[in-house]
Amino acid sequence: MKKKLFTLGFLTLALVALTLGSAWAKTVRIGLMCPLTGSWASEGQDMKQIVELLAAETNKAGGINGDQVEIVIEDDGGDPRQAALAATRLTTKEISSVIGTYGSSVTEASQNIYAESGILQVATGSTAIRLSEKNLPLFFRTCPRDDEQGMVAAKTLGALGYSKIAILHDNTSYAKGLADEAKSLLEKEGKTIAFFDALTPGERDYNAILTKLKSAAPDVVFFTGYYPEAGMLLRQKMEMGWNVPMLGGDATNNPDLVKIAGNKAADGYMFLSPPVPADLDTPEAKAFMEAYKAKYGTAPGSVWAVLAGDAYRVIVEAIAKSKETSGEKLAAYLRTQLKDFSGLTGKISFNDKGDRVGDLYRVYKVDAAGAFVLQP
Amino acid sequence: MEEFFQQLTNGLAVGGIYALIALGYTMVYGVMKLINFAHGDLFTIGAYLGLTLLVSLGLFDKIGPLPAVILLAVMVMILVAIIGAILERVAYKPLRHSPRLSAVVSALGASIFFQNAIMAIYSPKFLVYPHDILPKAAINILGLDIPVMRIILFLTSLLLMLALYFFIQKTKIGTAIRAAAIDQGAAKLMGINVDRVIMLVFCIGPALGGAAGLMVGLYYGQINFSMGWMYGLKAFTAAILGGIGNIPGAMVGGLLLGVIEALGAAYISIAWKDAIAFCVLILILIVRPTGLLGERVAEKV
Repeated sequence: MKKKLFTLGFLTLALVALTLGSAWAKTVRIGLMCPLTGSWASEGQDMKQIVELLAAETNKAGGINGDQVEIVIEDDGGDPRQAALAATRLTTKEISSVIGTYGSSVTEASQNIYAESGILQVATGSTAIRLSEKNLPLFFRTCPRDDEQGMVAAKTLGALGYSKIAILHDNTSYAKGLADEAKSLLEKEGKTIAFFDALTPGERDYNAILTKLKSAAPDVVFFTGYYPEAGMLLRQKMEMGWNVPMLGGDATNNPDLVKIAGNKAADGYMFLSPPVPADLDTPEAKAFMEAYKAKYGTAPGSVWAVLAGDAYRVIVEAIAKSKETSGEKLAAYLRTQLKDFSGLTGKISFNDKGDRVGDLYRVYKVDAAGAFVLQP
Repeated sequence: MEEFFQQLTNGLAVGGIYALIALGYTMVYGVMKLINFAHGDLFTIGAYLGLTLLVSLGLFDKIGPLPAVILLAVMVMILVAIIGAILERVAYKPLRHSPRLSAVVSALGASIFFQNAIMAIYSPKFLVYPHDILPKAAINILGLDIPVMRIILFLTSLLLMLALYFFIQKTKIGTAIRAAAIDQGAAKLMGINVDRVIMLVFCIGPALGGAAGLMVGLYYGQINFSMGWMYGLKAFTAAILGGIGNIPGAMVGGLLLGVIEALGAAYISIAWKDAIAFCVLILILIVRPTGLLGERVAEKV
């Protein structure tokens, strides 16, 4: 009996100590929703590594206003249904703001859930136009929008002197949106759209599509889908012996594209994108690239994961400067007071809709060694 | 017209792979009346094992491309067959006398397990077979440029399928498999070790699936942990199209599905390619519920 009492007393003490302890060490909880599994898992893993690295740096430097940062991660699987579940789980974990996620359709599935719970959402790779046209006051994103990319695409195709253009998308909300945008702009300029259709992502054999594309005889193929399919298209296009130039959208910005296609097939491929990590030239970016390399041994894959780092940084800035943690207050700060914040990918400011303002797109070309070369 | 024949060869190349995977579904269904939903993932495992062995043993430099591919195929088929046998032992055998739904759920669980295991072991990134290990030459037949590899790919699947067909039809073990497929109880009474037959079916089916995975890896280059899902679904469709449980049916169904897809993409719409393939499946099931080569079996009362 005595022993039992003793154990009970000890447990109670331990419990009290624990609750007191957690009350003393106040933490700021920031959510991260990213595709750790599913077909975009590699992007999600990078996002996780980057945000964790930055959070560790913040904590080492004393936290935000003395509070330690804790990152709460949920996997959205790159799938809208799973994203809704992930978002719901995150809303129960006492976070005031969330970073993520990568795909537009996935972000869309989570938007209202965060909005209803008063949580600030800073998306990182979701470029579809309508995400910010819904006027959700707590939604922001560190990436540019598809209409901007469509404009750059039309301009680039015009500047390169192509007039008969084939457009291929993959029916995801991002790729379809960009393809539609580019099509209407190009038609306005009097170009011929020789081909407009969608492929099924996730397949290995695109010969049927390439054969059909070839018979349309375009000057150039503009592909708005993702890098795994772009890599396969390049590779099978070469094996068919068809030498048409190809331009891709920003979702093909991933070094794995060259690995999949092979150096020979990828040579000369062009794509539009925000600057790749290696071309980030701000001092913050350089320091970040070094820290990332020191910790994980490689460079971060694509700029989309780095944009998650930027999302983290603007959230931390907003919490630090406004000394608030409620979603509404943070959103108000980001909208009105954050101007030209120097992020990893350049200057960051947001407009009323929560979109990042400023010109971010560049044109890249893959060289014979498989490197992404920034075009002047 | 040239485009039509080009699309036909495109379709046959893809269809050959579907057919090879479909054989695994059809064999397991024929004997156990179970759809092995983990079969697509065994295909993925074949692709990953192929890459691992290829890179770690450095076969291509040591013994040249042709012996290397054959040796690789044998190793992959044996390893995947072992995994298939283990899968049967762990996930299906304990449920043999349970309601059929339990086994289906177990199959789905095994599929999810395999996918996540591959992702955890190999990383979620796309992996790529070394480039230029196989000849990229194309030969010109009647004005069509057909890559040599594609012909070899097609002939290899055909060869494997025919070998299986004759194994099932002409050997004693094949007869035992057929007997177990008709009636397991009666087969047992005739002195057939049904457990061993099932184990064998779970070695042959996965081995063929693994070979298909290796072929896809070698030819298309790019593999990832979730590739088995799409191929599995298509092959499953092919098996039903041809008449599930029927081995020639799986071959015909696979090739037909590949050709329907390619022609559908060419003449109707690329985006509707899969929808067209499944519509044909539905139509055939309405007209011929047992599939193209399936026979109507009288229900036992």
